[in-house]
Parts: sequence; C-alpha cells; structure tokens
Amino acid sequence: MHKLRWLVLALLTTAVLIAAGCGDDDDGGGGGGGGEASGDPIKIGASLPLTGEFSEPGKAAKQGYEVWEAMVNESGGLIDGRPVEMVIKDDQSNQNTIVADYNALISQDRVDLLLGTFSSLLNLPASAVAERNRMLYVEPAGGAPELFERDFKYLFFAQQATADKQGEVWANYIVDLPENERPKTAAYPTLDDPFAQPTSEGIEAILEPAGIKTVYRETYTIDNPNLDGIASALKARNPDLVVHGATFEDGVGMVRALRKANFTPKMLYQTTAPSLGDQYSGALGKGTTEGIFYGVSHSKEAETPGNPEFVAKYQEMFGGEEVPEDAADAYATAQVLQAAVDGVGTIERERQIELADWLRENEVDTILGPLSWDDLGRPEGEFLVGQWQSGVPEIILPEEAATTDKIIPGWQPDGAG
Amino acid sequence: MTDAGATAVAEGTLKGGGGSPSQAPSKALRSPWTAVVAVAVLFLAAFPVLSDDLYYQNMFILSMVFAIGAVGLNVITGYAGYVSLGQGAFIGLGAYTLGICVNDIGGSPWVWVPVAGLLAGAVAALLGVVAMRARGHAFVILTIAFLFLLQLLATNWDELTNGTGGITPPLPTWSVEYQNWPYYYSLMGLLALSLLMSWWIRRTKFGMGLIAIREDEDKAATVGVSTPTYKILAFAASAVFVGMAGAIYGYYIAFIDPLGMFNILLSVQIILSLLIGGRATLWGPVLGAFLIEWLNETSNNEFGGGNARLLIFGGLLTLVVLFLPQGIIPTVGGWIERWRTRGKAGLAGERLSGIDLRERAAPAPAAPAASAAPLLEVKGLEKRFGGVCAVDGASFTVPEGSITALIGPNGSGKTTVFNLIGGTMAAQAGEVWFDGRRIDGPPWARAHRGLGRTFQITRLFGEMTVLENVVAPLREFHVGLLNANAVSGREAGRAEELLDFVGMRKYRDVRASALSYGQQKLVELAQILMLDPKLIMLDEPAGGINPTLIERIGEMIRELNSRGKTFLIVEHNMPFVLGLCNPVLVLARGQTIASGAPDEIQKDPKVLDAYLGEDFRLEQPVGA
Amino acid sequence: MTEFLQALILGLLIGGVYALLASGLTLIFGVMNVINIAHGAFLILAAFVTWSLWRETGLDPLAAIVVLTPLMFAFGWLLYNATIRPIRRAPPAASVLLTFGLALFIEGLMGEIWGNTSHSVRPGYFTESFQIGEIFLPKAQVYGGLVAICVLASLYLVLTRSWLGRAIRASAVNPQGAELVGVKVASVAALTFAIGVASAGAGGAIASVLYPFLPGSHYQWIARLLGIIVLGGMGSLPGAVIGALCLGVAELMTVTYIGPEWATGVPYLFVFVVLLLRPQGILGMRLRQDVATA
Repeated sequence: MHKLRWLVLALLTTAVLIAAGCGDDDDGGGGGGGGEASGDPIKIGASLPLTGEFSEPGKAAKQGYEVWEAMVNESGGLIDGRPVEMVIKDDQSNQNTIVADYNALISQDRVDLLLGTFSSLLNLPASAVAERNRMLYVEPAGGAPELFERDFKYLFFAQQATADKQGEVWANYIVDLPENERPKTAAYPTLDDPFAQPTSEGIEAILEPAGIKTVYRETYTIDNPNLDGIASALKARNPDLVVHGATFEDGVGMVRALRKANFTPKMLYQTTAPSLGDQYSGALGKGTTEGIFYGVSHSKEAETPGNPEFVAKYQEMFGGEEVPEDAADAYATAQVLQAAVDGVGTIERERQIELADWLRENEVDTILGPLSWDDLGRPEGEFLVGQWQSGVPEIILPEEAATTDKIIPGWQPDGAG
Repeated sequence: MTDAGATAVAEGTLKGGGGSPSQAPSKALRSPWTAVVAVAVLFLAAFPVLSDDLYYQNMFILSMVFAIGAVGLNVITGYAGYVSLGQGAFIGLGAYTLGICVNDIGGSPWVWVPVAGLLAGAVAALLGVVAMRARGHAFVILTIAFLFLLQLLATNWDELTNGTGGITPPLPTWSVEYQNWPYYYSLMGLLALSLLMSWWIRRTKFGMGLIAIREDEDKAATVGVSTPTYKILAFAASAVFVGMAGAIYGYYIAFIDPLGMFNILLSVQIILSLLIGGRATLWGPVLGAFLIEWLNETSNNEFGGGNARLLIFGGLLTLVVLFLPQGIIPTVGGWIERWRTRGKAGLAGERLSGIDLRERAAPAPAAPAASAAPLLEVKGLEKRFGGVCAVDGASFTVPEGSITALIGPNGSGKTTVFNLIGGTMAAQAGEVWFDGRRIDGPPWARAHRGLGRTFQITRLFGEMTVLENVVAPLREFHVGLLNANAVSGREAGRAEELLDFVGMRKYRDVRASALSYGQQKLVELAQILMLDPKLIMLDEPAGGINPTLIERIGEMIRELNSRGKTFLIVEHNMPFVLGLCNPVLVLARGQTIASGAPDEIQKDPKVLDAYLGEDFRLEQPVGA
Repeated sequence: MTEFLQALILGLLIGGVYALLASGLTLIFGVMNVINIAHGAFLILAAFVTWSLWRETGLDPLAAIVVLTPLMFAFGWLLYNATIRPIRRAPPAASVLLTFGLALFIEGLMGEIWGNTSHSVRPGYFTESFQIGEIFLPKAQVYGGLVAICVLASLYLVLTRSWLGRAIRASAVNPQGAELVGVKVASVAALTFAIGVASAGAGGAIASVLYPFLPGSHYQWIARLLGIIVLGGMGSLPGAVIGALCLGVAELMTVTYIGPEWATGVPYLFVFVVLLLRPQGILGMRLRQDVATA
C-alpha cells in the first residue's frame, strides 16, 4: 500500500512536469520577422462573435474578411507576394472569451497581424490586449466614443465616423430645412447600447440648440423593451420627429408599436434596423417603411474605389442580392490594414508602431470612401444617410454618394407618395 | 480541517481515539495528497517565469479568480448551507469599485483593490441582514434578485458607472515583458489568503456554528448559536476576498460593464466549481475552478460557440446534482475510506464499556428546600395552532436546585410548553420568567442566559463528529469564544471532559449520524452541558433506550443536580420519574392540573382521571 | 388621465398572460416544493416551436396552443421522471440548482436550433388595435389575454372539480395522508409537473406574439414569474393571479412614469420587499421551512 501511494505520486508529478514542458515555449516572441520564402503565408488573426447575441453581424463580418482574403490572394498577395491566411476564432459574444482568443492568436497561433471584431463591447477589451502587445488593431464595428478615450496608439476604427457623429449629416439636413418644413419637437427613445445611445445623443446635441425641443428622452434595455408603453407615451406627447436609437428587433418592434397605437410622427429616424434591407421591409411590409430615415456606412451602388469589385466578389462567394453592411465594413477594415502594410512595407512585430503612424498621416481609399484618422484613432469622415423609398433603401446624403435626388419629406406609411 | 486531517480522521475512526485532527501535521507532511498539492502550487508559481504563453497564463488567471470566488462561496454555501447564486455580483462590485475610484478619484489601481474588498464585504453583510428571514428557496431567489438588481443599477446609474458604455481602467504602467505577472501573482496571493481564511474558519467554534446552522438551524439556535450574527459574518467573509479578486479581474480585462461583470454565468461557473470540487472541503473549490475553466476554454476551442458553453454548464450542473452531489474530493475520499476500512468493524457497533454502573439503592427524591427560589416561572402560557389550542393557560414554577418532572397524557402540550419556554415557538399569551427576569428573546439568547434543552427525537448535527457537535454550542456571545480553536485547545478540552462524563469520549471522532439512538442522547446531553446551563430541560430522556442506559442517565442527572443544576424533565416512564423527581407537575389538555410530591400525584384523582379516564381505577398504587 | 388609463389597461392585459404562466410555476411549487427555474426556458421553447409552426404552416399562434399544450405536457412528464423525481428527497437547494442547469441546457439547445437572434410571431392582426375613445387596445394583447383567461379557468376547474385536482391538492397539503387514502403521490407529482409545463407551453405560444424573444429571454421571464409568486404567495393559485395583475400594472406604470429602463427591476423589487416585510406573500401560507422563526 505504501508503495502504491508513492507510485501514484510519482506518476502525477511526471504528468505535471510534462505538461509544464509543453507550456515551456522559447522566450523572445519574434513575430513574423523572418519571412524569407515567398509562399510562406502571412497569418492574420481575428476573433468574431459567430455565436451568441451578435452572431448575425459577426458572421457577416467574417464573410467580409473572407472576401478580402480571396481577392488579395488572387491579386498577388501582400508584401513580397506572400499569400494571406485568415485565422478566425469565435468569441461567443463574450468578453472573457475574446480576451482569451486574442491572447491565443498572439501567443499560440503566432499571427503576424490582427484585425478587429464586431461591437464596441467586444472591441474594448480586445483592443487592450492588442495595445499591450503593441500590435496594430483596426476594427470594423466599434464606434463607441469610450474606445478612443484611452490614449491608445494602435487602435483604428474603419468606418467614417464614431457613434456620436454618425447622425451628424442627417441632423444638419434637418436643421437646414426651411422654417415651415422643420419639425418643432422631437422625441428620443433609445436602446441602452454603446452604439445606439451616443448616436441618439449626438443628434440631439445638434437639433436642440437649433430650436427643436426635446419632449421625450428615455432608454430601454434589449430584454425588456416595453415598446407598447413607450408608444403610448410618445402618442401622448405628440412629437413631430422621433429619433429611435435601435438595433434590429426593437427597431421593427417600435414601428409596429407606433402603428398599433395609431400614432404617426411626421418624421422617423432609426439607427441600424432600416439598414438591414429585406429583413426590415419583410418584417414591416414595404408600405410601412416609406420615408423612414436611417444612417449607414456602406451602399452597394456607391462608386467608391473597389466597391463594384467587392460587391461582385461577395455575391459570387455567398450569393444573394444584398450585401450586409457589416461585411462591407469588415472588408474596408482589411483594406486599411493592407494600405498600412503596403505603405510601410513591413509586418515585423517591433515595427507595427510605424504602421500606426502611417495611418495617422495618410488617407486610405476604401469601399466606404476615403478614411482618415485623428491622433486617437477616430475617423474623420461623414456617415451616409439613407431613406426607404417605394420599398427600396436609397442613399440620399451626402450628395456625392446619393443614389437618388428625391428626398421624401417624412414618414408616410401606406400613405400618400 | 485539511484533507490531510480528513485522512487522519478516517484512520482514527478505525483505531478509536487516535488520529485526531490535532495530530494531523506530522501525518500531513507524509501524506501523498500534500505532496501533490505542493507540486501543483510550485508549478503554478513558476509558470509565468518559465513560459510566456499568454493563452495559458490567461487561463490560470481566470481560474484563480473563479477559485477565489468558489472558496468564498464555500463559507456561506458549503459550511453554512445557504445556496447563493449571487456570488458573481461581488466580482462585479469589486471591479466597478476599482474602475470608478481610479477614474473619478485617481491613484494607482492597486490601492483600490483592498477598498473593493471591504466594500464587497459590507454589501454582503447588508445582504445578510436583508436575507435574515429567508431560507431555502426564498434565499436563493433573493440572491438571484440581488445580482440582477445590481446589474440594473450598473446599467442605469449612468453618472456613476457610464451605463452600458462601461468603464475602462488605465492600461498597465509596467513593461510588456511582465505583462500579466502582477495580476497573476496578486491573485495567487489572494487565493492563498482565502484558503487560509477558509481553513481557519473551519477549525474554530465559529465554523462549527456555521456547519451546525447547515445541519439543523433551529437546533443550532437552541444551543446558543446566534444564527443571524453568524450568517452575516459568514456572508461578509464570503465576499471580501472575492471583491478584491473582482477588482484585479476588472483591471486585467480592461473593460468593466454591466453585462459582463454582473453576468449570471459568472455565478453559475462559481457554484459549479464548488459543487464539482466538493462543498465544505478546503481544496474542492480550487480543484473545481481550475477544472471548469479549463473545460470552458477547451470547449470554446474545440466546439466553438456560446451555445456549447451553455449546453456544457447546464448539462454539468444537472448531472452533478443528480449523480455527484458530494463533489469530487468527498466522493473520492469516501471511496478511499471504504477501501481502507473494508472488512473492519466500525466503532459505533461496540458496546458501551467503561461506564461505571454503581449498584446502589436510589434514595427517595428529596423535596426541594422550602426556601428555594423559583428558577423558572411560567404564567398563563397560551398557544394555538389554527383551531387547536395546544397550551391553554399553563402556569407552574420550577424551584431552583430541583429535579422537576412535567408529565401528562399524550397531546397534553408538554413538548409545546418546552418549545415556548425555549423560544422556538412564540406564545399567543403568557409570560416566562427565568432567574428573576422575564425572557422574551430568540432561542440563542435564552441559551446564553442558561437555559438548555434536549429534544424528544434527538437532534444532532449529523455531518459533524461527536467532538465537533459538543464544541459547536456557544455559551455566550464573545468574539474570543468564536475564535476559539475547536479542534484542540481549551474549548475542545472542555468538550472532551463532558464527553468523558457521559461516557462517549472514545467516539469523539465518529460522525454523529453513525451513532445509535442511545449514544446520540448522551452526546446531546453533553452539548447542553457545554452551555453551562442553570436549567436543563430534558424531553423524554428515558424514551427508546435500554434500562441500563436509563439508569445511567438517572445517575448523571443526580450527579449534575448535586452540583447545582436544576432539571425540568418531560417523561412517560413513571418509575423513572417517580424515583427521581420532586416536584411533579401534571399537564392535561394544555393546562396544569396538579403539582406536588410524587406520592401525592400518584393518588390525585384528577391525575388518574386525565391519564386513564373515569372508568378505570388502579388496584394498587404505583411503587416508588 | 388617458395616459394613466392606457397604462393601466395595457398592464392588466399583459397581467392576464403572466397569470397563466405563473399558475404553472406556483402549482409545481405547491405540490412538490420545487422552484422550477426552468419555467422561463419552457415558455421560450414553446414560443420557438410556435414560431416554427407559424413559419412552416402559417398556423395562428393562438390556435397553436392546441398543439403546444399536449406536446409540452408529454415533455414535462418525461423530464420529471428523468431528472426531478430522483432528487425529490434532496434539500430544496438541489431542485433550484438542477432546474437552473436544465434552463441553461435548454437555452443552449434553442440557440443551436434556432439561433441567437430575436424572433417574433406576426399574425395579421399583429399591428391592429381596438380603439375605445382615446384608448387603444392592441388586438394581439386582447386575444392573448382572453385565451389566457380561458386556459386558466379550465385549469381552475380541473383543480377544484375533478378527482385529479383533488388528488393534487391533497398531495400538496399532506403527502402521507394522501397515500393513505389511495392517492399515488409519485404519479400525481409527475402529472402536476406535466400540467405546469403544459401551462407554460400555452403561455409561451401567447407570449410569442406579444414580445420578441431569443433564447436568452428566459431570464427576464423567470424573474417576472418568481416576483409574481413571491408576491402572491408561493403555492397559491389565486395569489398568482393577483400577483400577476399587480406586476403587469406595476411594469407599465414604471415605463410610463419613471422610465422604461427601470421596468426590468420591478420583479426584483417585489422579491426584496415581500421577503423583507411579509415573506409568505399576500395569500400564501406561512411555510415553516422557508421562514426563519427569528
């Protein structure tokens, strides 16, 4: 019996030491420094929410990265003609997981470059991992202002504007309307979300000083929206304009709640939901969508550099008529990364700060239009404004990107027009 | 006690009397289990120095956070038996404290870590106050509501917490060479401290009280354990280190938001770790935490998907409750013990030997001195249960220094009267006066005043050993006493003496649930004596045991009485009563119908009528 | 005033549906002393099944109750015998942990099968309302409330008029006594659980029309239901109805007068306040093991 005890102990100790040996990697990281042979793929790592609450946009983002990967490899690769290999992990829309994922990408998969994830909530911790490890971090969908208040040097957001600025173009349009067409009062129901809320507040910050009175501002949470109650409150206050900060289901739900309550404000602006094409019009019926305004970063028809090719490739790889905005944003993100790498000519870990500096000093042409950044990684561009017209989502502003000249004056569900 | 000690106790069960936990240290050093633990600790400590694999460092960091959470939860859930699904809330509280203080007040984040711990402890104590009246289901529901309410507060109180936008603490200021080291080693230190606390609690009277609460809360109250205070202290202890770990966790993750920090899945992971590893063990929570976190990460890599985690956690939780309710360490420990003790007889089956049964003629019970002041006075007690009036204006006195009997036919309300006197039930009317003062408080307060009672069906704390059962009672509320060593030292010594008195000393390390009925009765008596009571109330001490033991108990009662203890005994065994007690009180239909010396009572027609009814007449008087 | 009336009416309408859902939960607790944390998951599961039925066959969700109820009944009965019955003698906390595990498992399953995005069932009358003066009554809510009341009424009739109902009530009050008079308590327990889950199924079908749902929605639902039965008194059916109406109205009033973001917290507040002040709730009996005799 005594011997058995010691045998067990010896076995356990041996097992433990072996495990330690496995984890015992050689020191000195050295990223992809010695890429002599062309043909040696450049590994680019990202973690995306492929499951969990952000799975829809997460999957679209993955598609966007994959389209870029295919197109880059077809046209001769990155640096010295080396092919690109995407390593994509699933963070399950969970913050702990995404930290683990990026740590794994850096130290186990030993990727050369990183790309960002979907949603500010996930980009916040992930970008910190990248910053600590001094790797460039360009991300497609994290526009909350908090991201850029940390003095990070490696972080860049690849859309035209941060969340608080995304409604700017439209808000200015409203303010510039002639007196008799301008709404007098406005209501701001919004989802409690790091994207929807700053957008809504950014719009209010422009409209209120211009004399459009705020008669209602409330937030609700995604798991308990109580839209009927809100619709009833809105009806009681009768605002001319309703600015609704939303994602998808609550965006659809609010429109329905307003119909149920028999209340039609003169104008309706929503974030996110109306940009989801057929899903949105299918859920509401095309007639109901007439005249609803929204903000969006990408338009399929835009003549921006590389856009027609991207759309064609996307449709070739994944089929269907529509191209999700999140796929386009992801593609643009990869374009930014590519531009920086081409511009500086290296992917070495110790020199990634040069990639970051290059982005700060240069403008990059993407399928979203030209993008440039301030010192904190905030983009300095203009978001697009869209409107549903006759069952088709059109871009109406800014003029350079517009797909139509017509602007319907307001929300006209199943009504005139 | 450490598991090295547990092994020792298992051996002690065989040899009887040997291998007590106080002998554990030398055995512990030789036990293979300790060697395994030592190797694991060394490996954990050396890992970041030997390897720069961030993935594993991250896994270990998260495992340690959950381990600290589980060790803390062990105090309230493992020891005290109150299942809490809100433990994750303290991680969130700690993280938010750090985030808010660093951003709004400034200073190094490390300064705020202990503050976070203190705040978490304070909030936990507050929750304990709120939860005082909730038990079982109600308590779990309350902890869930607590967690979600905190999440809601964090979401809506924008000015303080920035709502769903979250708080981002500053990036680390140290070199990237040692990226994770400060987090890693500070968490190791915290884990060590929590384990120390857990080990320390387990071997004090306080810990005994907690386990007593888990085993039988109402019984614990009657032996002086002031249950609300104990629970609040346990709650606070369960949260302090968890709050600190939460602060470090928030600093590490670099993003503190309501959905992440107050996520119910954090609580689920913590309680799962505790359940799998083994409740109320020292290392169980740690083992469970590392196991579950490893499972978590692996399932993410292999199967991918948030749903996989839900399936695994949910399935595991269900399976553990169904098939492995004890957890790994106790179950494996049980296998080992059974394998070791196969073919050997247990101690409990042995005859009680070494008890000195003196044959002597029992003297007739002397009447109490006329000048004896009443120690206990019951005035007009009333207790109704719905339509049934169990006690209907009972009044009597128990003179100091006497052995008073309380007899009466079944259903006359005797045990109810005991409950009313002891405080476990509230009377609708009437007063109880003890030692010159009216008593009104909860059972433990009455126990502290010197009132002890046993139960008709013995109530011991089944999972505790005999010695622990006797150490658990609290004579008076006194911090020093709470802190007293339950395993060795003065309190344990006193308990051993009492066990010796009742003849159960050899059984000191046997689990109480393994004893026979008679043995349990003796231990229960020893428990009461630990309170150093003035009045000892015995509920059917002679019931259900063999005549030899009945005599023995009678002798003990006389012995104690000669040392100044007063007794109030409820009994049906007439020879026992009439040979021992004076005065005898008779209760029928909730009222006192007679009181006096034994021979008077025997002849009292009212008494005969109450017991036997009008038609029956005794041929001969019952002899003394 | 209109706003107040509107909120009141909306609250009562939704309270009716809550009552149906809470009744199953309180029944299960009353008879077998089990807090079924998975009740919310059951109702969301029923909602998803209803959605699939509606998607594939166009079956109206309220009519789908006819399909859902027996389906969920069978599911509940099987689940009881597989998982709950083995632990019926374990301490109360065991049932909480077990049913919590079940809830998580079902959440994961729903995510795998239907995905993690919001769904809702949208029959034709979904955006229409009845108009009474200034007040609007959404048709979905009205129909849903009416159906809920019908199902609840039939449940009540079964409990009070049938032998099975009496057997259930006897098992709740005194299991040993019930055995003595010929009630097979174990089978009754299984049936009661199945009935409880079936009522969750019916409620889920109705709820699929009222609120968008995703697998993670079960937390909010079980929070509501727990708040309701704690308020009404655990084990009391009339108490569940009263508690449900109170919660529905309280939620709407909070949305209207305080702010929608606080509406989530109303059930938790109920739990805290009730457990502090009057632990047995409005109509519940004082359960010795659940309230410390402090």
